[in-house]
Amino acid sequence: MALLGRRDFSRGALALGALALGPLGAMPAHAEPKKGGTLIYASVSGPGTLDPHVSSSAVELEVIHNVFEGLVALDNRNATRPMLASKATASADARTYTFELRRGVKFHTGEELTSADVKASLERYQRVSPNAGNLAGIERYETPDPYTFIIHLKAPNVVLLDVLKSPIFPFMILPASQKDKPARGIDVIGTGPFSLGEWVKDSHLVIKRFDGYVPDTSAPGRDGYAGRKTVYVDQVRYRFIPEATTRIAALQTGEVQLASSIPTELRERIEQRKELAVREVFPVGGTYVIVNSQYGLTANVLIRQAIAAAIDITEITDATGGVNKPNPWMSFPNTPYYLGESAPSPWYDVKSPAKAKELLKKAGYKNEKIIIETNSNYQWMRTTMLVVAEQLKRAGMNVDVKVVDWTTNAAHMQQGTGEWNLSTTLFGPDHILGPQQWRPMIYAFPSIKGNDALDAAYKEFFAAPDLEQRRAAWLKIQQQVLGNGYMIKIADSGRLSGYSKRLMGQTDYPGILQLWDVWLDPAG
Amino acid sequence: MIRLTLLKLLQAVPVILIVSVLAFLLMSLLPGDPAVLIAGDQATPEAIEQVRRNLGLDRPFLEQLGIWFLHLLQGQFGSSLMLNQTVLSAMAERLPVTLSLAGLSIAITLPIGIFAGSVAAYYRQSWVDSLVMGVALLGVSIPGFWIAILSVIVFSVILGWLPSSGYVPIDQGAIEWLRSMILPAIMLSLFQIGFLARMTRSAMLDVLSQDFIRTARSKGLSEWVTVGKHAFRNALILVITTMGILVSTAIGGSVVIEQVFALPGIGRLVVQGILARDYPLVQGVMLIYGFAFVAINLAVDLLYTVADPRVRYD
Amino acid sequence: MTEIALATGPAGGAVLAPRRRFIALRRLAAHRSFQIGLCLVLLLAVAAIFAPVITGIDPSAMKVRLRFKPPSEAFPFGTDSFGRDVLTRVLYGARVSLWIGLVVAVMSGVCGAVIGVLAAQFRRLDAPLMRLMDALMSFPAILLALGITAALGPRMESVIIALTVAYVPAGARIVRASALVVRELDYVQAARIAGASDLRIMFRHILPNSVSPLLVQMTFVFAYSILAEAALSFLGVGVQPPTASWGNIIAEGRDYATEAWWVMLFPGLGISLAALGLNLLGDGLRDVLDPRLKSG
Repeated sequence: MALLGRRDFSRGALALGALALGPLGAMPAHAEPKKGGTLIYASVSGPGTLDPHVSSSAVELEVIHNVFEGLVALDNRNATRPMLASKATASADARTYTFELRRGVKFHTGEELTSADVKASLERYQRVSPNAGNLAGIERYETPDPYTFIIHLKAPNVVLLDVLKSPIFPFMILPASQKDKPARGIDVIGTGPFSLGEWVKDSHLVIKRFDGYVPDTSAPGRDGYAGRKTVYVDQVRYRFIPEATTRIAALQTGEVQLASSIPTELRERIEQRKELAVREVFPVGGTYVIVNSQYGLTANVLIRQAIAAAIDITEITDATGGVNKPNPWMSFPNTPYYLGESAPSPWYDVKSPAKAKELLKKAGYKNEKIIIETNSNYQWMRTTMLVVAEQLKRAGMNVDVKVVDWTTNAAHMQQGTGEWNLSTTLFGPDHILGPQQWRPMIYAFPSIKGNDALDAAYKEFFAAPDLEQRRAAWLKIQQQVLGNGYMIKIADSGRLSGYSKRLMGQTDYPGILQLWDVWLDPAG
Repeated sequence: MIRLTLLKLLQAVPVILIVSVLAFLLMSLLPGDPAVLIAGDQATPEAIEQVRRNLGLDRPFLEQLGIWFLHLLQGQFGSSLMLNQTVLSAMAERLPVTLSLAGLSIAITLPIGIFAGSVAAYYRQSWVDSLVMGVALLGVSIPGFWIAILSVIVFSVILGWLPSSGYVPIDQGAIEWLRSMILPAIMLSLFQIGFLARMTRSAMLDVLSQDFIRTARSKGLSEWVTVGKHAFRNALILVITTMGILVSTAIGGSVVIEQVFALPGIGRLVVQGILARDYPLVQGVMLIYGFAFVAINLAVDLLYTVADPRVRYD
Repeated sequence: MTEIALATGPAGGAVLAPRRRFIALRRLAAHRSFQIGLCLVLLLAVAAIFAPVITGIDPSAMKVRLRFKPPSEAFPFGTDSFGRDVLTRVLYGARVSLWIGLVVAVMSGVCGAVIGVLAAQFRRLDAPLMRLMDALMSFPAILLALGITAALGPRMESVIIALTVAYVPAGARIVRASALVVRELDYVQAARIAGASDLRIMFRHILPNSVSPLLVQMTFVFAYSILAEAALSFLGVGVQPPTASWGNIIAEGRDYATEAWWVMLFPGLGISLAALGLNLLGDGLRDVLDPRLKSG
């Protein structure tokens, strides 16, 4: 589920995780955290809902991950780390998962977290979450005592924890009282280090330090989304400012200390001030051209490869700006499923109109229209598709660009509906979890049907007992997806945020915005 | 007078009805199935069906219209999908922002616009006239959002005089409120000042060419006293007649200005609603604005008949 | 929208007898602001029409490596974020923006004329038609256009339809007002007594005599539509790229207003000049066609 929710509509808003903070940089070793103060954060737009079970939108998750916590979470290396659980164990046959809960954890209401809350949350998640399909194998669960929660599966499932720790549609634990609340209808009560204060929709939102927070003392400090979290600031105020120019102006005038989604061209405005700095957040996700394999011309693999051959990656990334690093693979470097320096298919960054023409000729192309669909909501997507359109024109293709709104665009890609050949999206960051998280997206977006080799490769993947064999299967999967031009990889991409140097202690983990462990230096 | 008032009120009734129907029809412009559009990309068939039922889209057209009116009679103007709240309360929350902006902008517009127009009329066909009217013309010709973006860069970033964005409620300090609103209000008033100055000039020219002014002059009355007296009366009538238009353009212009300055007003609510495909919200806001302007125009009409005894309704 | 009705003044005095038209033309030709306005508008129109001849560049052709080049000999208006020639885009944008303005002015003028004349001629239609116009006028113009464009989808056709709907009522009111005056004129009454049909009276007498105030009105609508298109593009519901319109060039360039000022500056000047020219043209027409303001 790499897509943004429909409510994340703001112009120029970026995709998931886009607003997270970047590498730590050179923090003075002697800096001593100071308590107090209000951090003001300029975000692109306001959340539509703070219901974690249905949220896939960056602006919503930026609040949610500071207010709620799950049983398990991603650590610094994107491995599983217990969060509200003190221990999570799988039985040898991978059919029973047992979670021991940390004791004494308090909700913002002051009530203690028990296994009844976990059970209620899971029941609710299965009812309302668009991600519930990934939990389909659950047979039953039990709560033998207030601090133990056991899930029994119908069949072995090695990826259950991956679903439970996914930062998108996060399985956050709500009080049992929220069990029957409809999607988007919860009271915002979690166990996170911040609690929700004032929230004026599409103006601003305040989260306050939760003084009853019970940190996970098993860790020395923060660790990805988990670990020991300490809140120094009294509160954080999110201000929603859609215009990039205005957002940066707010940073320059000192009205805010942190601003998201800085266009590359504007980083100069921030860096020329000695009290401000720009942070690169990388990697946030992978960007892809999606090729509709069930519609018109692009049902033909030769046409799809011709399109891939015409594409010049540098030109696209120059035009979209942001932080982009070329990478022919579908996994990030330094993750378990990254397969090295070479490439899975010969179709990455070919930039050869001649080769494209040759393939078009072989395909018997007669100047028929290729329809590119993009949306008016996300500028980088529109930019990408406009550049792709020009590159295809250079290769002699007849291209038509249709701009619709994001909701329509997203629905067309996810459901294979509409009349379009090419579109684009960003996948991430949950796909770092591996090929199993990739699977529904690989099949749905380009509408892959009847590819036996791909089906076989996935079968091999799920049956493989060890990582090396799973990596081999993942190579075959990528060869099918990229080699047949179902998807055309563009780049691994990150985003820029601007901040005041008064803001100290930002994490180097490129996850969704984390506001614990940061502090404001009053001297600055 | 009472008869006239009653007549005007009576005339407003069909207008209100038509406004309601027009707002209702807005939804039927949507291509395809509105329920699918509203329910969104991740909706299950059940969710779509629920939206259809909630909005009554499964009923015949006339019945839908009937239900629409029934709801209106009960004071229900619909609910926003993205905010989980009624349109009325969503608008009420943001009303202070939009009212501050529109009010301040009109407060800036009235004196400047009328003064400029009067001066131009008095010194007609001189360089003063050309200069003032030239500037007024620029006011109605330059796109507001364009100049607004440039103004943020000049006044907030380069000069650092004013905050770049955001709204400070008036109860948190009048000075701070004014500082947060003054630049947006000026940007919003540029068009209106130009417009009002042009209107004032032609209205004043009318007056200055009329017989009674000539008579007054020939009778040896001080020209300034005469012109001043008549100018005042005319200015009053002008303010009344243009008030509806000024408020209407201020509200329309605030949609764009609120976007540039990140002001959480009703204009931004509508734009967010449109981008999020929250059609019931857009529909509700249009409807409420429509009603408000029927009332404003009615008030203007009535005030006008009071202020200008020459006007009689035929 | 209402502002236009008032800016043209009460239409009663604007009726010209046929033989006076020639004089009117002569006076127009001598009118300063009319001259300037006409020059500006013609200049922009010629630039728009001959855009392909003037630049010879494809407006969507990208040279990404040449992005954000400041104005120079090769690129007189610089290049945008895609390395496209801003001059070319502004010229092609003029075609779209001026076309939208023209079509909206003509369509709203024609619809306004039909509604206005019908309302004036047929008493039974008067109330319902004018109440409908009142209702449309109750929505702030930009908001009405925004709502309609949003529902119809972000396309040029939607923008045209939306703005036409927003600007029809003002035209209808003006035509009705002047038609009500005309129909009481002696020679029209004479024609009626002589047994001329309603249709004949409408087309031979009332419509031609309501044309001048409507023409003034249409000129102003032309200007307002160009401004409104830009505002709609800014809000994201206007003409969509890769098609260039003045509005969407500004919208695309607005983030880079200090770094690449040329992207936003030139289309903004285009809009301002076009609106200025049309307003001057409208002022000239009104001065000449509305004898009440002769003294001005």
